[in-house]
Amino acid sequence: MEKKLLKKDRLSGIVKKMADDKPVYAPVKDEDNVLFKILEPGMEPLISFANTKDAPKKVFFPHSELLMKYTRSPKGMVFAAMPAGEKEFVLFGVRPCDARSFVLLDMLFDQEKWKDPYYIDKRKKGTVISMACVHPPYAACFCTSVDGSPTSTQGSDIQLTDLGETYLVEFLTPKGEALAPYFAEATAADASAEAKKQAIAEQSAAEIQRKIPGRAIKPILDVSFEHPFWDTIAGKCIACGTCTYLCPTCHCFDISDEMKGDDGVRIRNWDSCMFPLFTLETSGHNPRTSQKQRWRQRLMHKFKYYVDNFDAISCVGCGRCVMACPVNIDIRKIVDDISKLQV
Amino acid sequence: MQKPLHQIAAENPYVPMPVEVIKIITEVDTKDIKTFRLAFVNKEDEERFRYIPGQFAELSLYGRGESPIGIASSPTQKGYIEFTVQKAGVVTTALHEMEEGTLMGVRGPLGNSWPIEFLEGKNIVVVGGGFAFTTLRSLINYMIFEENRKRFGKITVVYGARSPGLLLYKDELEAWGKRGDIDLNVTVDKGDATWKGREGFVPTVCKEVAPSRENAVTVICGPPIMIRFTLPVFFDLGFSKENIITSLEMRMKCGIGKCGRCNVGSKYVCKDGPVFSLAELDKLTKEY
Repeated sequence: MEKKLLKKDRLSGIVKKMADDKPVYAPVKDEDNVLFKILEPGMEPLISFANTKDAPKKVFFPHSELLMKYTRSPKGMVFAAMPAGEKEFVLFGVRPCDARSFVLLDMLFDQEKWKDPYYIDKRKKGTVISMACVHPPYAACFCTSVDGSPTSTQGSDIQLTDLGETYLVEFLTPKGEALAPYFAEATAADASAEAKKQAIAEQSAAEIQRKIPGRAIKPILDVSFEHPFWDTIAGKCIACGTCTYLCPTCHCFDISDEMKGDDGVRIRNWDSCMFPLFTLETSGHNPRTSQKQRWRQRLMHKFKYYVDNFDAISCVGCGRCVMACPVNIDIRKIVDDISKLQV
Repeated sequence: MQKPLHQIAAENPYVPMPVEVIKIITEVDTKDIKTFRLAFVNKEDEERFRYIPGQFAELSLYGRGESPIGIASSPTQKGYIEFTVQKAGVVTTALHEMEEGTLMGVRGPLGNSWPIEFLEGKNIVVVGGGFAFTTLRSLINYMIFEENRKRFGKITVVYGARSPGLLLYKDELEAWGKRGDIDLNVTVDKGDATWKGREGFVPTVCKEVAPSRENAVTVICGPPIMIRFTLPVFFDLGFSKENIITSLEMRMKCGIGKCGRCNVGSKYVCKDGPVFSLAELDKLTKEY
């Protein structure tokens, strides 16, 4: 696929030009945070930032999403309408770890047997422009331990890499190439640009010092469901669910109904395996009554169950859960500890 | 222009197919278990809803929510599907307040099924307790259907409830009892003045009936306490774990392996289950 070089000061204008034509989600400053928002006229996309507080999965799998509308009829409640279809849009400024999360979520939502039309429609309509991490933004970054890298192009349609004076613009997919006209002023990239990117890739990956045995713990997890180790991890967890809400790969949801007068909507909202009610049955029985069980579920889901089902670790190493946990539970330490278990 | 609803539902597994409640049967004297007979509003949906005994569906009540319920009718019964539902939570309570002629929705069929091909050519021992008899009833009606009966060997049924008034499908039990091709053993924990049948717990009756393990498979569904005491009986009779089949229940929402709450280890009960052999369950974590 085509590679080009773009003068750095031109990028912001190009993103705003895209935003004139279609919805563009981009990192923007919002009080103390950087969040993905649709660029409105006058809003400035952040070009230089560490990473967003919220994961961009929300663009394809919204926090709260309309599934269908219904209404009252003389014979009872009946279907009324589907949500309006999605327009084509651009998701700009995604970090490579987060872009990889889309590939992981595709495995679940776009399976052969059961497809999730809401997610798939948005994935088809959205073009992902990622920004390679020339330097890993956080000490909590650990993408290289979970099959990723700071310059991974997985899940990206276009990737931008800061080469100093210019951005290397890599058009990776036909969807990405369709946006090439916006980059008309960019010039062809030569071999030296590619060599520079290669050097950045190696340098940036090497800067991530923290390593965890992401794949290596799988055989240990296969045989340690009943291990006393699990009693030690969740003691201070307050079941707030922040880790799951910020996680780029957590996909659990609830479906609920809301009515106003004779009309109603069925919606789905993010849910969390950290909550006691998540698995509570009508009978009162709950297969996971303790936070220990719920933490084991979260860890197992990411490092064993997802590997069993899709041969992929359901963690991209973004570090959000590590940084945001109010009681400083660190999934990296848990994985480290598991690797040392005697089983 | 919006597509026709049957087409939307065919393309989107979250969209329920509209059905009309055409018959409601109160099954038990406590009146909290009813069978709902549902007819599809759209012919296309009826043709698409091809199920096998042991599968379930999400009963969908707009404004209230959805509830995953095993299909109690057999695919050999044409023109309708049936669900036997205990009044328990928000959705099932609303369902119990419904009248014949009301419209509601169904999503499915969902999940795997009783392993029909595996059961073929074998002697089948069906063991059910209380209200968990619904998909077993589907299986029995499927096996004794005229064209199907010869595909299965001896059929033994042990079905128990706490009291005579709590037995489901009383008319059918009577009809089955009159057939020569089912060894039907209905039992109650405690009878009443009019009860002339057997008294005793399901595990005890299984022990008395003592079905042979030769070329036999047992299909068991019931409350956990019944299962716990019935399994040792079948182990003693020499049944292998591959030949003991059961069905699990978990809290569910989507029913298609996405919403993430009904997993037991790497398996989703909604999509990979609900039916598992004991040998398969042994390989899963004990978190259900």
